[in-house]
Amino acid sequence: MEMVKKQTATQSQKLMIFVLTMALYGMATLFTELIPKFQVGIVEFSVEYFLFIPLVLGMLFDPLSAALGAATGELVFSEIMLGQFGGLGELEKFVTVTIGVYLAGRIVRDPRNRKLVGFAAIFGTGVQQFLGMLVDIFKVQFAVEGFEAVPGLPESVFATEGFAFLNDLLFSGILFCMLPAIYLAPKLYGKIEPLLGMQPRSEKTALGGINAKVVLVCLGAFAVAAAAELLATSGLPLIEWEASWAESGAAIAAGIVVAAIVAVAVLLMMKKKAEA
Amino acid sequence: MESLEVNFQIYHYWRSKCAMKGEKMMQKLSDNILDKLSMDFLRNQVLKNAYGNDDTFIAKLDPRILLVWYLFFALVPWFVDQVPFLLGAFLLVAATTVMARVAGLVLALFVVGVFSQTGYLFLVSLLFGGNGETIFPLLILTLKVATVSLASVTVFSGLDPDRLSNGLMWFGCPERLSFSISYAYRILPMLMEEFQNVLLSYRLRGNAPDGSTLSGKIRYLIYQIKVIVHAFYPLMLNTAKRSRTTVEALELKGYRNAATSPAVKKLKLSSLKIGYDDMLFVAVSFLWMALTIFAAFLFR
Repeated sequence: MEMVKKQTATQSQKLMIFVLTMALYGMATLFTELIPKFQVGIVEFSVEYFLFIPLVLGMLFDPLSAALGAATGELVFSEIMLGQFGGLGELEKFVTVTIGVYLAGRIVRDPRNRKLVGFAAIFGTGVQQFLGMLVDIFKVQFAVEGFEAVPGLPESVFATEGFAFLNDLLFSGILFCMLPAIYLAPKLYGKIEPLLGMQPRSEKTALGGINAKVVLVCLGAFAVAAAAELLATSGLPLIEWEASWAESGAAIAAGIVVAAIVAVAVLLMMKKKAEA
Repeated sequence: MESLEVNFQIYHYWRSKCAMKGEKMMQKLSDNILDKLSMDFLRNQVLKNAYGNDDTFIAKLDPRILLVWYLFFALVPWFVDQVPFLLGAFLLVAATTVMARVAGLVLALFVVGVFSQTGYLFLVSLLFGGNGETIFPLLILTLKVATVSLASVTVFSGLDPDRLSNGLMWFGCPERLSFSISYAYRILPMLMEEFQNVLLSYRLRGNAPDGSTLSGKIRYLIYQIKVIVHAFYPLMLNTAKRSRTTVEALELKGYRNAATSPAVKKLKLSSLKIGYDDMLFVAVSFLWMALTIFAAFLFR
């Protein structure tokens, strides 16, 4: 009996895919971070996305390794090496990029099928952009106190974010994700796999489409990312902490100042002694 | 009469010289702007940012201390709404950014990013019936965003990536991440050069459309994008080969085993040491923040 072999890579091949996607996508995002955006009217022409790189690699190789590699690459190259690391917000980007690329990679059974590749590319980008938009809206909602009360703010946030989503999807999505993916995926098929010592993906060895389990796991991951963003609202203990010393406020603050001065003085003396 | 003539000549000479100077300056200026947008400039700025400043006070600090310091300035501003406190935090991180000698381009990007975002939001909120009152919460939001991003610029740009990855590892970040940082640090110059070479060779062989008219400009833009996308074809194949070599070399050295072995981790992290400078840095930051809290109480 012949078993249908799924496309599985060995551990070291997965590492190869990870390194490959990380290096390429990382460098590409580094450039996009540096190239200025320009606007024509209200349409923003940004070269925001070189997302086609991980999308294509996710379609050709193990999607999960490619997705994680892309997210890590963006984090490391364009955020950490350029010093643009934005704290918790980066977790959201990490998760959304991973989900988008992973889903697109799972959809494609045969990278030579241009229609399927195009659909998967635009689908993956759409998922990524949509999740990003949701998180962005949450973020402004929780950073601005009394968000609903500020006149005109809620509507403007929804409008700008919704517009940015459509703009990114229709402009960057088609121009920088779909078309390059349609061009590159069939062209690389059968050529790049042997370089990593792997069989090209075929109908039989594909991982299988998206099922309920995949969707559930993705939703769970997104919930974690959103929760990280919403930490701001559950910052209640911090606010209480503020309130508790607000009563005798100034005195305690003065005490802290004195303590800090003493600490600095002692450290300076210790340093002098150590150097002498 | 003669002197007048001479004066006139001198005046003319002076005028023409000035004109020449002006022309030269204009040319210099346009050269300068073109220079700033070239690929080489981008590469230099990135490399300078990643490799250039390992002799600053910030770069010599212990990465663990800096990460904890960063955590404070990345989280606390979101929860506080008192302006003196936020302003004080902002001034402190601005000072540390200066101390870290961050590359100009990164700072320029930061300024454009922060102000364009809130400015845009403000303009749109005016459309939806916002007024002068809308700008105040937005200014506070800007101050918060600016503080958080400057803190990150200080830490992630001021620290050399190797030390950073060691610091992250100490806090139990996955080995994969610190490996990625170290690898990115080493592979980046090579990869950028290769990308540039591929692009240049495409440009040599291709025939760029004339960019003098508007439709020509659009065609030129499309041509550029096409070249970039095409350039990724050989680049992907080359990088695939290179990443296989990298992973095989890592396997030979027993990387996968070492990644999980506590003994290796201990050996790797033994270079981290907290000195007086680190403690002083923390103490001075603490003092400054205590002062701003004090000020926040005085002015309320």
